[in-house]
Amino acid sequence: MLSIISLSIFGIVNLFLGFLKSRRILLPATLLFLIVALILNSMDWNQQALYFGDMLRVNNVFVNFAGIVLITALLIVGISRHFGNDEEHTHPAEYYAILLFSVTGALMMIGFENLIMLFVGVEVLSVAMYVLTGTDKRNIRSNEAALKYFLMGSFATGLLLFGVAMVYGATGSFKLGGIASYVQMASMYGAVSPLLYVGLLFLFIGMLFKVSAAPFHFWTPDVYEGAPTIFTAFMSTVVKTAGFAAFYKIASTAFAGVYGFWAQSLAVMAVLTLLIGNITAAYQGSFKRMMAYSSISHAGYLLLAVVAKVPSSQSAILFYSLSYSLATVAAFGVLMAVSESRQFEGRGDDRYEAFNGLAKTNPLLAFVLTVSMLSLAGIPLTAGFWGKFFIFSAAVQANLTSLLVIAVLMSCVGIYYYFRVIIAMYLKPAEGEGISVSAGFTLTLVLTTVLTLLLGVFPDVVKNIF
Amino acid sequence: MPILTTLIFLPLLGAIGLLCLPDSARPVFRWVTLVLCALHLALSSWLWLSFDKQLIGYQFTETFDWITLTLGQFGVISIDYALGVDGLSLPMVWLTSLVMLVGAVSSFEIKTKEKAYFSLYLLLTGTVVGCFVALDLFLFFLFFEFMLLPMYFLVGLWGGPRREYASLKFFLYTLAGSVFILLVMIALYLSAVDPAETALSVGLVKDRAMITDQVLDQVHLAISQLQVDPAQLVHTFDLRYLSDPANYVPESLLSTMAGHEIFGMSARLLAFALLFIGFAVKLPMVPLHTWLPDAHVEAPTPISVVLAGILLKIGGYGFFRIAYELFPDGAVYFAAWIAGLGVLSIVYGAFNALSQNDLKRMIAYSSVSHMGFVLLGLAALTPEGANAAIYQLFSHGILSPMLFLVAGVIYERTHDRSIDGYRGLATPMPSYAAWTAVAFFASLGLPGFSGFIGEFFSLMGAFNSTYVPVWMVVAGGFGLVLGAGYFLWTFQRVFLGKTWTMHDTSVLTDLTFREKAMLVPLGLLSLAFGILPGTLFSITEGYVMEFLKKF
Amino acid sequence: MIPEVVQRIPLQYYIFFASALFVIGIVGVLTRRNAIIIFMSVELMLNAVNLLLIAFSTYRSDPNGQVFVFFIMAVAAAEVAVGLAIIVMIYRNVRSVDIGLLNKLKW
Repeated sequence: MLSIISLSIFGIVNLFLGFLKSRRILLPATLLFLIVALILNSMDWNQQALYFGDMLRVNNVFVNFAGIVLITALLIVGISRHFGNDEEHTHPAEYYAILLFSVTGALMMIGFENLIMLFVGVEVLSVAMYVLTGTDKRNIRSNEAALKYFLMGSFATGLLLFGVAMVYGATGSFKLGGIASYVQMASMYGAVSPLLYVGLLFLFIGMLFKVSAAPFHFWTPDVYEGAPTIFTAFMSTVVKTAGFAAFYKIASTAFAGVYGFWAQSLAVMAVLTLLIGNITAAYQGSFKRMMAYSSISHAGYLLLAVVAKVPSSQSAILFYSLSYSLATVAAFGVLMAVSESRQFEGRGDDRYEAFNGLAKTNPLLAFVLTVSMLSLAGIPLTAGFWGKFFIFSAAVQANLTSLLVIAVLMSCVGIYYYFRVIIAMYLKPAEGEGISVSAGFTLTLVLTTVLTLLLGVFPDVVKNIF
Repeated sequence: MPILTTLIFLPLLGAIGLLCLPDSARPVFRWVTLVLCALHLALSSWLWLSFDKQLIGYQFTETFDWITLTLGQFGVISIDYALGVDGLSLPMVWLTSLVMLVGAVSSFEIKTKEKAYFSLYLLLTGTVVGCFVALDLFLFFLFFEFMLLPMYFLVGLWGGPRREYASLKFFLYTLAGSVFILLVMIALYLSAVDPAETALSVGLVKDRAMITDQVLDQVHLAISQLQVDPAQLVHTFDLRYLSDPANYVPESLLSTMAGHEIFGMSARLLAFALLFIGFAVKLPMVPLHTWLPDAHVEAPTPISVVLAGILLKIGGYGFFRIAYELFPDGAVYFAAWIAGLGVLSIVYGAFNALSQNDLKRMIAYSSVSHMGFVLLGLAALTPEGANAAIYQLFSHGILSPMLFLVAGVIYERTHDRSIDGYRGLATPMPSYAAWTAVAFFASLGLPGFSGFIGEFFSLMGAFNSTYVPVWMVVAGGFGLVLGAGYFLWTFQRVFLGKTWTMHDTSVLTDLTFREKAMLVPLGLLSLAFGILPGTLFSITEGYVMEFLKKF
Repeated sequence: MIPEVVQRIPLQYYIFFASALFVIGIVGVLTRRNAIIIFMSVELMLNAVNLLLIAFSTYRSDPNGQVFVFFIMAVAAAEVAVGLAIIVMIYRNVRSVDIGLLNKLKW
C-alpha cells in the first residue's frame, strides 16, 4: 500500500525536478523512485490487509502483480534514453511523472476491492496513457493515435461504468465481497436479477476493451503503431498486466457464482482473439504493427486462463504476464534503437526490412531480439514457454479441450510471424551501418534477456512465489 | 565419469568454445569439430561395449532434481534431469556419434561463416544425443524442440536458393507436431505421480534410501483408493513412472480406469493419436512428410546427412519410447491404421521417388518410403516387427547419409543434381560409380546389406501379426519392388551408357580421399550389420521383450 | 425510508430512461465523424450512468451510489481536460477535427 502512496508522491516530486537545469538527473531519479516503490511493495509480503475504507486489498497476489508492473516500468524507464534530448520528447520531467502516475493507477487496478477503486485506477492509468500516446506533438500519427485511444478509451470507460451501475442496481454493493455474496445467494435460489447479467456483460466488455481482446481490439493496432515506441512498450505490458489482474479478480471473485453465464461468451471471445490476433499478425509488413497484433493474441492466451478459472489460473496469469512483459520490453527496445537510426519515408523505419542483417551489424541487439521472439513464440528454455505451459495446464485442468486445440494451432501461426524478424536479421544481407546504443540501454536489454532465459531454465524460482 | 552427461555436454561446451575462438582461427574450426566428433564416437563406442546386454531396464542412469514447482492444492510437479540408455537408445546414441562424425567430415566443404556453422553443428549434436538419452519426458521435449533452432539456422543460412522457405517449413511442421506432444505432456503430468517422491512427501518414509518395492506398493494402493491428499501428490514427467499405469491417479484424465472422453473419444486414445501425429511429422509419415523433400533439397550436404541420418530417427524413437510405452492401449487400438499409414508411406514415397528428377529429392522420398517400414514393423507388435523397426531405423541411419553424400559428390562438382543431366558417369568416375552402387543396392534391400534385414523382418513381423491385414504386407512388399525400381533406374540413367553431360567433363573427377573416407566406412558398416545382424539384435532383443509385455 | 415523491416514478422508468440516453450516446460515438461530437456522446453515456446510479442509490437508500457519481464527475472532468487538449493538438496540425481525415494509420 505504501508503494501506491509513495509513487504518487514521487510523481509530483518528479514534476518539480523538471525545474532543475540539468535533465540528466531525471532518469536515475525515476529509476530510484521505482526501486524504492518496489522495496516498499515487497515489504507488504504476507501482510494481508484492507486499506482506504476497505477499498484496497493488499495481499501476496497484489504484491506479485505490483512487482511485475514495477519491474516492467523499471525496464521501460531503463530504455528511455532520448527523453529531453530530441525534438520529440521535450518535457522529460512530465513524461516520467505521468509514467509514475500511470503505474499508480495500475497498482490501484490490481489491488481494488471496491468497484469505485477499480474505476479510479482504470482512469488514472488511462488518462495518463492518453497523454503519453500523444507526446510526439508534431507527428500527425501520434496525434491520431492519441485521439483514437482517447475516444475508444473513454467509450470503454462508459461501457464499464454502465456495467458497474447495473451491477450496483442488482446487488446494491460496489464491494467485491458484497457482489459475490449476492451472486452466490441469488444463483443458488435461481433468482438472479436480469440487471446483473446486463451489468456483467457491459462490465466485461469494458474490461475487454482495455485489455484489447477481440472483437473490441480494433483500436489497438493503430494506437500501438502511432504512439512513440517507448509508450507502446508501456501500453502493451503494464496496461495489459494490470488489466488482466483486475479482470481475473473481478471474474473469479465477484462473479464466480455465475461462471456458467460468462464462461461461454468469454470462451468465444478468447477464440476470436486468438484467431484475429495471430492470423492478422501474420499479414503485417510492419514489425511494430505485428507486435500490436501479437499483443492481442497474447491477450487471447491470458483469456484462456481467465475462462479456465481453476486455482492455478492466477499463478499462470502472473507468470505469463511476467514472461510476456520481459520479452515485449526487449522487442520494443530493439525496435526503438533500429527505427531511430534507419529512416523510411521520412520517419523511423519499423518495417521488417529495417532489421535486415542486424545480426552482422549489431549481434547483441539481434540476439536480444531473437530471445525475445523465441520467448513470445513459446520455445523451450525461455520464460515464454513456461508461460504457455502453465496456461495450457490450467486449460487442461478445466477441460477446455476445443479452446486448447485452437490455442495450440494459433501458437504455431505465432512462430511464423515471430520468425520473420529472425529471418530478416540473420538470413538477409545487411543494409546500412551498425547502430550505436548507450551502455545503460544495452544493459537493460541484456537484463531482460538474462531474466527471460533464467526463468526459462529455472521457472520454479519465481513460480513458487506466485 | 557421468558418461551420458559428457556425451551431451561435450559438444555443447565445444560449441561455446568455438564461439570464444577469434575469427583468425578460422582454419581450426573444422578440425576442432572433427576431433570432438571423433571423441564423441569413441565415447559412445565405449558405452556400447560396456553396455550389459543381460540387464533389463536403463543403464548408466543419472538423476538430478532440476525444477520443482508447487501447484498449490494440486500438489507438486518435479522435473528431473534424468538420463539413461537401454537397448533402444544405445544404438541411436552410437548412430548419432557416427553420423555426426561423417557430417563433420562432410562439413569441410562449408566455406562461409565457419564459426557460426560449426558451433551450431556441435549444438545440434548435443541436443540430438540429449533427445535419445533423456528419461524425463520434459527433458526429452526440451531437447526435441531446442534441436530445431540449430537445424533451422543450418538450413536457413547455408542452404540452397529457397532456403528460407524450406527452413521455415521444416520448423513450422515439426513445431506444430511438438505442440501436440506438449498438450499430451501436460495431461500426463496432471495424471501421473512419482510414487517414491510421494512416499516422501506424505511422510511414509523419511529417507529416499528407505524406499522399497513394498513402500511403492503401499503408495500405489493409497493413491488408487484416493487416500492421498491431492496437495501432497508429487507429479512427474519421469518416463519410468509414466509407463506404469499404477502411477496414474484414478479419475485423472489419462488414467486407464477413469475412461474420460473428449469429443466422444477416449482421452487415452486421443492422447496417443496426438503423440503419434507429433512424432509422425518428424519421422516423416505420409501425409505429413511434405517438409522433408524441401528441407533436403535446400540443405547443404552435411546437413542433409544429419537430417536423414539422425533427425528422422527421433520420430521413430519417440514412437517406441513415448507413444507406445505410455499408451499401449492406443497402440493396439490404432494398430491397423498405423500399419496402413506405414504402407501408404512405403508405396507413396516409392512412387514419388520414381518420378523425381532431382537426385536429392529422389533420395528424400526414398527416406519416406523406408521410414514406412518402421511404422509397419512397429504396428505389428511382434518381436520380429519391433526388432526390425529398430533395425530399420539404425540401418537407414547408415545408408541415407551415404545416399546424400553420393548426391553431394556430384553436386559439389557441377552444382546440378538433376538425374537426366548425366549419363555414363561410370567411365570418368569409376570408384564413385562403385560406391554409389553399394549405397543404392544396400538401400534397395539387397541381401547381405543392413537394409535387407530391416525391411525383410518388418514384413515378416507384420505378416505374423494379428493386427495387420495381410494385404497390407503384400502392398508393403510391392513397395520393396518399387524401391528396387527407382534405385536401379536412377543408377542406370546416371552411370551406365555412353558418357554424356551438359557440364564440362573436366570437372568430373573421381572421388577424393575425403569423400572415400566417408563413403567406405559407411558402406562397410552396412555390409557388416547386414551379415551379422546379431550384433544389433542382441542389444535390442532384451528391450523388445520388455516392450512387448505391455501389449 | 424512500421518500414518497421519489416513489411516484417507478425505478424501471429511470432504468429505461438512462438506458435510452446511454444508447443514444453509443450510437453517437459510432456514427458521428466530428471528434467533439463523439466526445460529447461519451459524456452523454457517462451522464446516463450517473443518472442510473443516483436512481439506484435513492431506491436503495444507500449513499454509496451517489458517492460514486462524484467520482465519475471528477474523473470525467480530468478526462475532458486531456481530451480537449488532444483535440486542439490535432486541430493545430490538420485544421480539422473530422476523424475521417485521420487515416494515416489504417483504421
